[in-house]
Amino acid sequence: MSFRKRNIGLSAGVDRAAVPNVSAQPAPIESTPGIRPSPDDGRPTTSTGTPSLDGLLAGHAGLPMGKILLIEENGTTDFAGALLRYYAAEGVVQEQKIHVVGVPEQWGRSLPGLIGTAESLEEKRSDKRKDERMKIAWRYERLGEFGAGIAGARDAPTSTGIPDAAAKQQNAFCHAFDLTKRLAHPSITNMSFIPLVPSRDSPFTSILKQLQSSIASAGPSTIHRIVIPSLLNPTMYPPSACQPQHVLQFLHSLKALMNAHAARITAMITVPLSLFPRSSGLIRWIELLSDGVIELCPFPHSADALATSGAATTQEEPPQGMLKTHRLPVLHERGGGSDQNIGQDWAFNLSRRRFEIKPFSLPPAEGDKEAQDAPASSGMPKKADLEF
Amino acid sequence: MPSQPPLPPLLAPYLSSQPESSLTLISSILGATSNWLVLRLLYSALSTSTNQTFGLDEHDGSKKKVVLVSFLRGWEFWKVEAKRLGLDLARLADKKQFAFVDGLSELFSAPQSANAAPTTSSPTGIPPRTSLPLRGPPGPVPGRGPAIAPAISASTSSVARGPATSEPGIAKKLHFSGRGTAALDIMEKDIIAVIEQVKASGDSSEEVLLIIDQPDFLLAATGTSMGIGATEMSEWVTGLQLNVGATVLTLAADSPLIHNASVSGNQGATPVEGEHASFAIGLAHRARSVMQLRTLETGAARDVSGVLRISRGGGISSGADTLDEKELLYYIQRDGGVKVFGRGES
Repeated sequence: MSFRKRNIGLSAGVDRAAVPNVSAQPAPIESTPGIRPSPDDGRPTTSTGTPSLDGLLAGHAGLPMGKILLIEENGTTDFAGALLRYYAAEGVVQEQKIHVVGVPEQWGRSLPGLIGTAESLEEKRSDKRKDERMKIAWRYERLGEFGAGIAGARDAPTSTGIPDAAAKQQNAFCHAFDLTKRLAHPSITNMSFIPLVPSRDSPFTSILKQLQSSIASAGPSTIHRIVIPSLLNPTMYPPSACQPQHVLQFLHSLKALMNAHAARITAMITVPLSLFPRSSGLIRWIELLSDGVIELCPFPHSADALATSGAATTQEEPPQGMLKTHRLPVLHERGGGSDQNIGQDWAFNLSRRRFEIKPFSLPPAEGDKEAQDAPASSGMPKKADLEF
Repeated sequence: MPSQPPLPPLLAPYLSSQPESSLTLISSILGATSNWLVLRLLYSALSTSTNQTFGLDEHDGSKKKVVLVSFLRGWEFWKVEAKRLGLDLARLADKKQFAFVDGLSELFSAPQSANAAPTTSSPTGIPPRTSLPLRGPPGPVPGRGPAIAPAISASTSSVARGPATSEPGIAKKLHFSGRGTAALDIMEKDIIAVIEQVKASGDSSEEVLLIIDQPDFLLAATGTSMGIGATEMSEWVTGLQLNVGATVLTLAADSPLIHNASVSGNQGATPVEGEHASFAIGLAHRARSVMQLRTLETGAARDVSGVLRISRGGGISSGADTLDEKELLYYIQRDGGVKVFGRGES
C-alpha cells in the first residue's frame, strides 16, 4: 500500500461523492449502481450501507439479492435501527426503491446524511492512523493494527474486485453516512411507506398486497429494498400480529415474493428480542424463514466505564456490544458452517459516522499493573522470551 | 483430504436404500440446514453415474422416481444446487422421472404477477395503464438473474406442461385455501396427482420416493386456530405415504421447538411449540431412521460444519432390517462439495 495510491483514491472518492449518480439511470441491469457480483460465487449482491456488515456476510462482501437479513436486538437500545437506517439510506443513494413497513414517514426523514463513499472515509481514517503510527515502537506497530488488519482483509474484495481504473468510473458500492446529519438526496421521495391498516383479519395482508403490486408494477430494472423496522413491536403492531399464522404466513409470502423476483429485492427486518425471546418457537420460525440472522447484544450501560478502559488504543472506540451471527445468507442455505468468520466473537461499535463490527477481544484488566508486570501469572510470554 | 465424490462413501449406504413404505426423518437446526443432505438423496436416487463411480452399488440400473415437495425453497434453488452435483433436474422433470411441487411461491398468497395476464385481474386497480400487465409476466424471468440464465433457456423446451403452471420444471404449485383438514385434503390431492403422473410415465414398476421439505412449516404457519394440529399433519403425511414407495421428511428440530413443550414448569409452551414437538416426536417414532443434523456442541470449527447422527427410528422393523447407527462429522466446502468423516479422522 503506497501512499500515492491512497491519494488517488481519496480524490476520486470526493469527486464521486460530489456528483450524484444521475446518469446511471438508463444503464442496463448488469451495471446497475449498487449491485456487484459476489467475489465468492458471482451472484449479484448489494450493500447494506455498513461496510463491516457487508464484510461479515460469508464472503459475499454484500447482501446477496433475494435474501432476507434478520437483525435481532436485545435490550432497549436501537442499534439495529441504526443498521436499518444505513441500509435504507444506502438504497436511497443508489436510487433503489425503498419500501418501509409499519412506520410513519417521519422515519424516512431521519435517515443519516451522506458524507462520501465508504472508501473515502476509510482512507481518511487510515491516514490518521498512519500519523499516529510513528509514535509507536515498530515492534508493537503490527499489534496495534491487528484488528484493523482483519477488517482490511475482509474488505479486500472491495478494493481488489474492481480494477482501479474501472473503479473510478464505476459508482461506489457502499457509502458512508453521518447519523447527526439528515439525508438530502433527490431520490429520497422514492421511498414508499406502507402503513399498518387495522383489520379483523391478518394485519399483514394489506402490507403484502401493496408490496406485491408495487414490485410487480415497477420496471424490471428497478431494485427494491424492503425495510421492516421492529417487527411485532406492540407499539406499532396489533396483538393479533403475533399470532403465528399471521406473521409466519406473511414472512413466507415475503420469501415467495423475493424468490419470484430474486435479482431485484433484498429485505432487512429487525426484531426486538426483549419482547420476543429467541427461546420461543415463534422467533425460531422467523429465524428459520430468514436467510441471515444476526443478534446484537449491547452491553449494559453500567459497563461503559469498564469498556472505555478496554480500548486498545486511544483512537479505537470501545465496543458497545457483542454481535452474534446465527445464520448467514447462502452459506447456511447450502449447509453452512465453513466460513472463516464463523466462530469469531464479534463486537460492534456505533459512532457518529459508522457502525463498525470487529473481532472482540477482552481488554486487559485496568489497574492491574502488577499482573501485567509479572507476566507469568497472566500466562503471557516472559519478557525474556520476547528479547532477541 | 481430497474432495469426495458427490455421494460421500460413508453416507452412500444410508442414502441409497430406502425400503418400501419406510419413513426417514431428517432433522435440522438453524445453523445446520438439511438442504445438502436432501440434494445427496436426490443424487443417489436419480443419478445414473453413481454406479460407475462405485462398482458395487446394489441398485444398479434401477433408478427411482422422485417427487420433491418443498415449502421453504424455490425451484431455482434446488435446480442450481443440483446442477453443482451434476444432476439436471429440469431434464429429469421433462422425462417425468422427477417432479417438483412448489410449496413456496403461492402457498398463502394468490398469484399476483405471474399468471395475472390471462386470468386474474389485479385487485390493485391499475386499469389506465393497460400496457403494464403485458410487461408483468416477463418480470420473474429476468428476475432469475444473469448467472442462471443458461439453465432457463435450456429448460424452456418443456413449457408444454399443461395450463396449471407456465413455469418449466414446476409440476404443481400448492395453494392453501380454507382451513383445517379440508385445506390439507386439497393439497394432498394436488401432490397425489403429481405422484400419479410420475408413476404413470415410463417404467411403472419403479418405486417413487417422496421427499417433503419442512412440512412442519405448514403446521407452524397454520396451527390449531386454523384447525390444523399435529394429529392432522401426521394423518396428512400418512395419506401421502400410502401412495409412494418410501418417504423422506425434513423437520426443524431446534431446541425451542422441541424442548419448550416438555419443560414441566409453570410457563406453558405456546401452541406452535407444543404442536411442533408432538408432530416431530410422533414422526420419529414412526420413522425407520432419523438423520439428525446439528452443529458442534463445542463451538464452531473451521473444518467441520456440523454433526450428522444416524439412528434407528421407532418404526424400524425388528427383523431383517439392519441399520447401523452412526455419528459422523461433515464439512461443506465453499464450492458446495461435502466431506463426511468420522470423529478423529480428517
